[in-house]
Amino acid sequence: MTADRVWRVFRREVRAARRSRSYLALTAVTALAVFGVAVAGEGPSGGYVPTVIDVLVVVELLVPAVAFAVGYRALSDPIARGELDVMNTYPLPAWGYVGGTYAGRAVVLVAVVGLPVAALGAYVAATAGPETTVFASHRGVDSPLLYLRFLALTLVYGLVSLSLVFLLSVVAGARDRALVLALAGLLVLSVGGDVAVFAALDAGILADTSLGGALAVTPAGAYRGLVFDQVLYVAVPTRSAFVPGWLATAALLCWWGATLVGTAVIATLR
Amino acid sequence: MSDPVLSTESVTKSYGGVTALDDVSVSVPGTAVTALIGPNGSGKTTLLELLLGVERPSLGTVDYHGPEAVRRFGYLPQRPTFRPGFTVAETAAFYAGLVGDDAERLLEAVGLDAVADRRVSALSGGMTRLLGIAQALAGDPPVVVLDEPASGLDPAMSDRVFDVVADIAAAGRAVVLSSHALPLVERTADHLIVLESGQLRTVGSPAELRERTGGPLHETFPTLLDRESAVVEGDR
Repeated sequence: MTADRVWRVFRREVRAARRSRSYLALTAVTALAVFGVAVAGEGPSGGYVPTVIDVLVVVELLVPAVAFAVGYRALSDPIARGELDVMNTYPLPAWGYVGGTYAGRAVVLVAVVGLPVAALGAYVAATAGPETTVFASHRGVDSPLLYLRFLALTLVYGLVSLSLVFLLSVVAGARDRALVLALAGLLVLSVGGDVAVFAALDAGILADTSLGGALAVTPAGAYRGLVFDQVLYVAVPTRSAFVPGWLATAALLCWWGATLVGTAVIATLR
Repeated sequence: MSDPVLSTESVTKSYGGVTALDDVSVSVPGTAVTALIGPNGSGKTTLLELLLGVERPSLGTVDYHGPEAVRRFGYLPQRPTFRPGFTVAETAAFYAGLVGDDAERLLEAVGLDAVADRRVSALSGGMTRLLGIAQALAGDPPVVVLDEPASGLDPAMSDRVFDVVADIAAAGRAVVLSSHALPLVERTADHLIVLESGQLRTVGSPAELRERTGGPLHETFPTLLDRESAVVEGDR
């Protein structure tokens, strides 16, 4: 029965998003940004990997921005208008409300980010030269499978960003605080991790040999490292990953799980 | 007076160094309307939230003695708002669906069935409050808690809201509400709990308190308080 209630919360989120023109506008802006950068860099005519190289930096910045736009009011609004208190009178645990809301917003995020990035992949397929093969059977070959990896990693990065936004949203508990915290979180997620790592390196707190590992534990660093490891360097036989892949994967999973659990716990204890 | 469905025993609630409620022991009878009245800042909302379980007491206990139910409490917050973009029927269906209830029944209970297709963002303040009460009735909870159900409403809509409140109690539920609308409280409530500065001043039926003050409560209410300058709104 709890599953049915969580499903209802999820369905309400998706319905609300389908009726919102702002998400359509957000999708259009995202598409404009990735297509604009890719076309300007002429990556699509070169193939999938050149396209990923063109758009990686933009996508790395866009994904947290979209996550914050989609999620910063997801819990702060219901808290501010008393809906969470009302929901507490229903036989739906706080984690169920958080989970249903997160799943609904995750669908929105996947659509807003995934559709433009997937469309760009389709555009590459239609415009790239014959050297772009359908399947990569060995390193050094461009392939749509590499682009699919990029898409999958981007969506995972988006889901991690969204869970972090949810944590900030439940901590804020009011719309104005949610906005401030979301913007701060956006900065920390986008550049804060890298800045902290390089500051620690500069101060001698971190050894040069630990740089890859340290970058891998920040969400943006882990995402970037995995894209290099699983997409870009696959097409370049002489290069190897600059962050340990297993550590980057574990870091993203930990960020995702810890922030979602933290959000559910805070929502329960409120 | 029927058996209590809720009771507090020496409940104190503090926020940091501020005591919002101090050593309050009260009972809420079933199948009756209990009204919490008192000046602004007297602790009415805090007591409601403690009874609901939304807040936990710093000291003392809150006990529920009512029947087991899918949903023990229905709750109308002071300023209910709903997800924009949905109709009245869709909003009611969402809450009803959480407890296997019928949305049409809920809307009929508060007289909103005629505007079921209207967007919630197009509802007046009074209609929004009625939709909030419909939500509070989902799952047929034994106790319905309403925080200032008539605040900010015009006299006609306030009357309508309190008529709905009376109907809820007549259907066999306990209703606990806070309000400054003393004429409506006197007309509707069976049991009054008077709070001031976080402390319990007195309890009794409207008739008992009227006898004590010597007149209608909306005129004589300050005599029940320690300070005569207490602000009471809602006289009309």
